[in-house]
Amino acid sequence: MASRAFKDINLSFKRHPVTNDVVAIRDEDAIKRSVKNIIFTTLGEKPFVPQFGSVINESLFDLNTELSEIRITDEIRSSLLNYEPRIDNVIVNVTVSPDTNEMNCVVQYSIVGLPSPSQSVDVLLFPARV
Amino acid sequence: MAFGQYVNLDFDQIKTSIKDYLRSNTNFTDYDFEGSNLSIIIDALAYNTYTTAYNTNMAANECFLDSATLRENVVSLARNIGYVPRSRRSARAKVSFNVSGLTETSTLTLNSGVVCNGAGENTNYIFCIPEDITVPVTNGFAEFSNIEIYEGVFVSENFTVDTSLFNQRYVLDNSFIDTSTIKVKVKSSSTATSSVTYKQIDNIVGVTSTSNSYLLQEIEDERYELIFGDNVIGRKLSNNNYITASYIVTDGKDGNGAAEFSFVGNITNQDGAAINASLISLVSTDERSRDGDEIESISSIKYFAPRIYSSQYRAVTSSDYESVLGYIYPNVESVTAFGGEEMSPPRFGKVFISVKPRNGDFLSDETKRELVQRLKSYAVAGIVPEFIDLKYLYVELKVNPYYNPSLNDDQENLKTGVSNALTQYSRSIDVNKFGGRFKYSKAVSLIDSVDSSITSNITLVTIRRNLKAVLGQFAQYEICYGNMFHTQESSYNVVSTGFTIEGVTETVYLADEVINRDKGRIFFFTYTEGGTPNIIKKNAGTVDYMHGEILIDTVNILSTVIANNVVEIQAIPHSNDIVGLRDLYVKFDMSNTTINMIQDLIASGENTSGSRFVHTHSYYTPTFTRKSNSPVATGSALLPSTASSTGTTTSSSGTYATSTTTSSTPTTTTTSSGGGGGSSSGGGY
Repeated sequence: MASRAFKDINLSFKRHPVTNDVVAIRDEDAIKRSVKNIIFTTLGEKPFVPQFGSVINESLFDLNTELSEIRITDEIRSSLLNYEPRIDNVIVNVTVSPDTNEMNCVVQYSIVGLPSPSQSVDVLLFPARV
Repeated sequence: MAFGQYVNLDFDQIKTSIKDYLRSNTNFTDYDFEGSNLSIIIDALAYNTYTTAYNTNMAANECFLDSATLRENVVSLARNIGYVPRSRRSARAKVSFNVSGLTETSTLTLNSGVVCNGAGENTNYIFCIPEDITVPVTNGFAEFSNIEIYEGVFVSENFTVDTSLFNQRYVLDNSFIDTSTIKVKVKSSSTATSSVTYKQIDNIVGVTSTSNSYLLQEIEDERYELIFGDNVIGRKLSNNNYITASYIVTDGKDGNGAAEFSFVGNITNQDGAAINASLISLVSTDERSRDGDEIESISSIKYFAPRIYSSQYRAVTSSDYESVLGYIYPNVESVTAFGGEEMSPPRFGKVFISVKPRNGDFLSDETKRELVQRLKSYAVAGIVPEFIDLKYLYVELKVNPYYNPSLNDDQENLKTGVSNALTQYSRSIDVNKFGGRFKYSKAVSLIDSVDSSITSNITLVTIRRNLKAVLGQFAQYEICYGNMFHTQESSYNVVSTGFTIEGVTETVYLADEVINRDKGRIFFFTYTEGGTPNIIKKNAGTVDYMHGEILIDTVNILSTVIANNVVEIQAIPHSNDIVGLRDLYVKFDMSNTTINMIQDLIASGENTSGSRFVHTHSYYTPTFTRKSNSPVATGSALLPSTASSTGTTTSSSGTYATSTTTSSTPTTTTTSSGGGGGSSSGGGY
């Protein structure tokens, strides 16, 4: 894919102090936001695209087995490759900590066509009430 | 770029449209990526548009009778044009029983409510009467004869009129009501002893301010509401008036077919005392239960409401009769009506109606009488409706499909496939109706599409009508086919199954001999398989090839080969598309349709030169007599010359090879039309 600029809207809808326009996010940030959106979207949440998203939210309440990490890793990786064509070399590393009821998910990727260094998204999920 | 108009309800298309707009109107770029923030916003916008469009579409659809899908809306829209959809109909039976050994009893009353238990398929049904029946007692004997009982549960509901309530409604609580059994009585108060019966009306013609009448309307959940007058149209109810509405809640068509009944009712004498059940005889069935039907379907409402509206509940034109009849008699599968002036000879002042009921072939005489009475309230004075039994015009095929054995060598399986496809077609609405048309091209293409191994087919069509013989009586017969005949040969274009006539011991057949293009004559002959026909009567009738009519002169038929006194007469149609004219009901007869699978040696590669290809005649190979698969008459000594040993197939027919004008002296003639002969009864059915 040829290099190009990416520009997405910021869902905070804050005002730009100089231009008074809505704040935009660009390039690596826009892609990182997109990756996070895919990871945090529950399957079936996006209208008429039931495969879009990941199982990470649902997995929070699953029993912790050895297969959990593998399953979550595969699900996230395939979702990102399916719905985010701007990234490549995706490495997903999921660590489940049963003692602290936490799950740590680190996603590393490189951006197609941009000379930026490898990107990383770190997601830590833990229950709000223990 | 401006926003385009959303022309459909496809979410993806709406989304694409928004993206197209953004592509040309914004400096944002990420709308194409499903994970982007813009995509989330676009999803929200598109989903909102989608639901709004869907709701608008549904609401708009529900506003019109043609497109409404919810029953409540369809009924409401039909109500706007004065149409009350038919309710469920109870199956009705007629029974008789008597009570004997009565003392000091002058009258007996069979009370409204449950009367009998009727045995249906796998279950029992309760049968009721909606009103009391009182009969006199003579010499200790009372007879309840021919009582009409209704399948269902008898229910009674009461309402007290309260004028202080705004818009008080009188809604009957139950669904599945047979509205024809609703009886409404109004008392001045709940303690009053006398009551006035209110009559159900479906239009306001002749209704005055003092008429004791009410209107009925279907509301939600297939329930009904009573609407009383306002002292302008119908009498208005007063405060504290006490309404009693009784009706039957029915199982509809499930109650049809019960033939055995046992008494479970309540009979009281003139003093209101119940009589001893041991005095009541067994119940005899005069008529098994019939005419039960479901509530009118949505499609039926959509069909009939505008038609009834256009006829304004008046039967004037022939199509009015068809609409009104469908309205007053729900058990109609197909109906045709035509004025007597269209008859030949004309019969002015009459309208002829032919009905194909759903559960049978013919209407009973009782039903016909009942319908004539009911039609009188719709018909123009002086016009007499008359029901005629429908006449079947059978279409038979001789199918020769070619198949490629390399693709499918299971001949029997293919044959079954062709048979199933034709059976499916035989049930289609194309043919099974008045004014129906057998479409040759449809049937032929259907055969070709049964399996990829079928390469072609050669299909021949014949038409047939059944002559219902009046046995042992002199009668003339006229059989109309409503389709022009094809005269391929100089004779034997029209052939029949066997019958016997007075004075001839052998089985007789009839056939035609062409005089000219328009006319032919019918002759009778005897025939032995493999032999030559022996003509016994040369002028036995006429054939009008142009109009497809056969007239058989006075003849005394004594018996027939086919069961039910039927002589099957077949002819070759001029056109392969067969039309049901006027009262003819086109029926595709699968039992007399033959399928002969032939291997296509060219397609299979077995004989690419075609030298061994099996050719099939595209024209008819005439036979002297008709070959029929219809059941033969039982217990009859009469058998066709080549009746098969199974006794169910009347195979006949040597191939017509040479001229058959075999001169033979008529051994007996039955041309005498004197005496009681010459009656023009009979004809096909």
